[in-house]
Amino acid sequence: MNVEIAGLTRRFGRNQAVAGVDLEAGHGVFGLLGPNGAGKTSLLRMMATVLPPSSGKMQLLGRDPGSYGPRREIRRRLGYLPQNLGYYPSFTVVEFVEYFALLKEMPAARVPAAVAAAVERADLGDKARAKLRTLSGGMLRRVGIAQAIVNDPELLLLDEPTAGLDPEQRVAFRALLRDLGERATVVVSTHLVEDVGAACTEVALMNAGKIVFRGTPEQLTARGEGHGVGDAPLERGYSAVLTEARS
Amino acid sequence: MSERPGWDAAPPDVDLRGVWTAVAAQVWRRKPGPFERLAGRLLRSPGLARALVTTPSLLLGWIIATVVVLGAGAAVTSKTGVPLVALLAPALAAAGIAYSYGPGIDPAWELTWSMAVSDRMMLLARALAVFGLNAALGLAASAVSLLAGSGAAAAVTFGWLIPMTAICGLALAAATLARSANVGVAAGLAGWAITVVAAGGSSGRFTALTDSAFVLPYLAIAACCAAVVVYATRIPRGTS
Repeated sequence: MNVEIAGLTRRFGRNQAVAGVDLEAGHGVFGLLGPNGAGKTSLLRMMATVLPPSSGKMQLLGRDPGSYGPRREIRRRLGYLPQNLGYYPSFTVVEFVEYFALLKEMPAARVPAAVAAAVERADLGDKARAKLRTLSGGMLRRVGIAQAIVNDPELLLLDEPTAGLDPEQRVAFRALLRDLGERATVVVSTHLVEDVGAACTEVALMNAGKIVFRGTPEQLTARGEGHGVGDAPLERGYSAVLTEARS
Repeated sequence: MSERPGWDAAPPDVDLRGVWTAVAAQVWRRKPGPFERLAGRLLRSPGLARALVTTPSLLLGWIIATVVVLGAGAAVTSKTGVPLVALLAPALAAAGIAYSYGPGIDPAWELTWSMAVSDRMMLLARALAVFGLNAALGLAASAVSLLAGSGAAAAVTFGWLIPMTAICGLALAAATLARSANVGVAAGLAGWAITVVAAGGSSGRFTALTDSAFVLPYLAIAACCAAVVVYATRIPRGTS
């Protein structure tokens, strides 16, 4: 298992963003669904080792991120796309991706080829030398995806990766996710239920800091049978589970 | 996400994707500048060297602004004898240190936090580089004042390095604790202003700032601030 979490909590003052999450994930694409404020981003940030948990146990790639050495090793094998990706306006696409490849401590000799491969996979070959300040929001999102996959990560954490992508790019991105999920654990936090249905092998639904459903997209769809809210079968399942959790 | 047209038409023993990636890697390869290469050798980390050259307060515009302010200070010092360089250098360095690293200053700060290169090392490398540059520029400005033959300037020349260390430590500690460069700058400038006013008010001479009696307190403040920074950037212990 690449992700092993037990009783994980995170508090911000009086607000409990994550309230005792248990989660295990191996290879494959794992979808994290939930309404705003459900705790998805906080959970993802803890898994990305940028936010320490308040309590609970967490093992990533078989290591404890609480210690310096193991955490550094995890970070070398980690890909992370935060919800708000900051960027350096004067950097080109290649410079940005290369910067993070170096910060991930990839061997310097491997970096140019890895950067070129990541930029191509993110479909940014035509914009490789464009300054980031000249790119659209969707393109910047793809730059973020390129930096996340540049080290061929064993654990890939993506927070709202399809935000800003047009429908054609989203279809291509789901194919990329499925491809990455064959060799790595990919955790995708998203509001878009259709992304989960198309790309994820497993899904968890969060509400008020807790996981209220875990199963396959088909199982989530089945939970929505007979439920009236939602246009698509998966949306009806999402809505049915949330209604049940809130009642 | 992309499949270039025509790749499927290639013979099965030809890896067009691999060939294209290798070509693109050569075409897009960025050649590091001399400073980045030198930093990479000294720090033994190309990532840390790259992080160093992206420091906001080491960018050309910031350095030019610092040179202009210190140059004007040196000119005033050499003509009037008022030790302006000694008064300006710590304040400029404190601002530079506060603006070297942190949220709001580094656009991709959260992302850099998830990287294998330690954020503490990044902070240390950037803070030392900013301090070193500001110290060098201040010394150059002081040397210019000395060459112009100002006695008052000579009295405080080089003495401001110790107060500068304390003020930089204060700015860095405040910026790290508050996670705000602006708070760091405000703390550094306020600390320095209070020191200057107090020294000027008590003795009527700014040379009191660099009195040897203050060396130990300045160093103690710097050490305390360094301890605060180390504590604030400690590795959060895991719960497992």
